[in-house]
Formats: sequence, structure tokens, C-alpha cells
Amino acid sequence: MKTDIKVLGPGCTKCKTTYSNVLEAVKQTGIDAVVTKIEDIEEMMQYNVLTTPVLMIDGIVKIKGRIAEIKEIKDLLSK
Amino acid sequence: MQNTQSLINEICPTSTQSWVRKGALIVDVRENNETRNLMFDVPKILNIPLSHFEERYIELSKNQEMVIVCNDGIKSLLATNFLINNGYDSSKVVHMKHGLIRWVQKGFPTIGDTSSILDSEISNSCCASSSRETSKNSCCH
Repeated sequence: MKTDIKVLGPGCTKCKTTYSNVLEAVKQTGIDAVVTKIEDIEEMMQYNVLTTPVLMIDGIVKIKGRIAEIKEIKDLLSK
Repeated sequence: MQNTQSLINEICPTSTQSWVRKGALIVDVRENNETRNLMFDVPKILNIPLSHFEERYIELSKNQEMVIVCNDGIKSLLATNFLINNGYDSSKVVHMKHGLIRWVQKGFPTIGDTSSILDSEISNSCCASSSRETSKNSCCH
């Protein structure tokens, strides 16, 4: 089954960096994943988030309110 | 996933003035670096930065009428959504759309330097940008 990765954020620099870090981490690990960027505020509200960016993996919030670094994303994906 | 957006009541700055006159608490969710230069000048105000909101929202009484505010109405929308999801009554907790920017444009009272915020422009009118339910007190019927 593909890993479901979502990056939530309104398009700020931190959100963009997190998204590109996710893509790089997925590339480096070679896992089969679907990466989705959610920038719409109303869609973000469905996840009850307060601070962005938010990194969600398979429906679970893993990192919020800061940039997720490539190494830590890789660590999260390998668990 | 939760879906409370339809329950969120939005009011404009003019309606917020009515809420303030009736004793509502203004909850400002801007960060400290945002509140430093310019603040809402209202009788009852509490600043809980959004970055600390999860830890501190319990300071807010569920019986208190309150208007959640920020600079442009985005952070306040997220905070209001969060409160509703955590059992607050949507008839008592409302979100002020367009934030401090529109508040200042309307000439409502502030403390501090308004020059930076007046540089911000919002093209939508008070009532143009949302399909969400509005409060009975809203100017946007």
C-alpha cells in the first residue's frame, strides 16, 4: 500500500520547504508514496490544525509548526 | 478528519464592535512580534498566540462570548475552528473576518502604529468573501 503523505500549509516559505523536503526524502528512500500539498484554508480546517506547516503520514500528524527536515522525514518513513 | 467549517460564525469588524459593547472578550491570536507594534483597543482582550493556542485555549471559559481575531482573518479562522472542535459553542465563539487590517481601515480603535498595517490591502468587501454562515449580529446579511 502506498504511504499517504500530506503537507498542510497556506503556501508560506516554510510550507514550500517542507513540501520539497518531503519529495526529496521520498526520492532518497525510494518508498511508494502519494504526496499531497494542501494549501486551501478550509481543507486544512478539516484536520483541525493550528500551526503550519503540518506533515501528516498516513493520517497522523508527525510534525507541525516548523520545517520538517529531510533526515527526520526519512526516519519517519522508515519506521 | 473533522468538518466544522459550516458551524463557524463569522462577523465583520463592525459587528465585532457590537459584540464588544455587549461584553464579549476579544481573543487575539497574533504572535508577539505582531502585537508589539499595534493592538486592538478594546475593554476585554486576551492575547493567546496561535503557536501556544493548543496549550492555552483552556484559559477561555466556555460560557464567555468571544470574538477571535488576528491580522487578516486566517489564523483566527483556524483558532475558531479548533475551539468548536473542542466543544465550544459556535453561537458564543465567533471569528472576525479580515482581521485587524479591516478593523484599522474602518477607523476602529487601536493602540500603536497603524502605518504598516494600512499598507496591506484586501480587495474583498466586508461581505464578499465567504459563503459560511453569518451571525445574527453580522452586518453581512
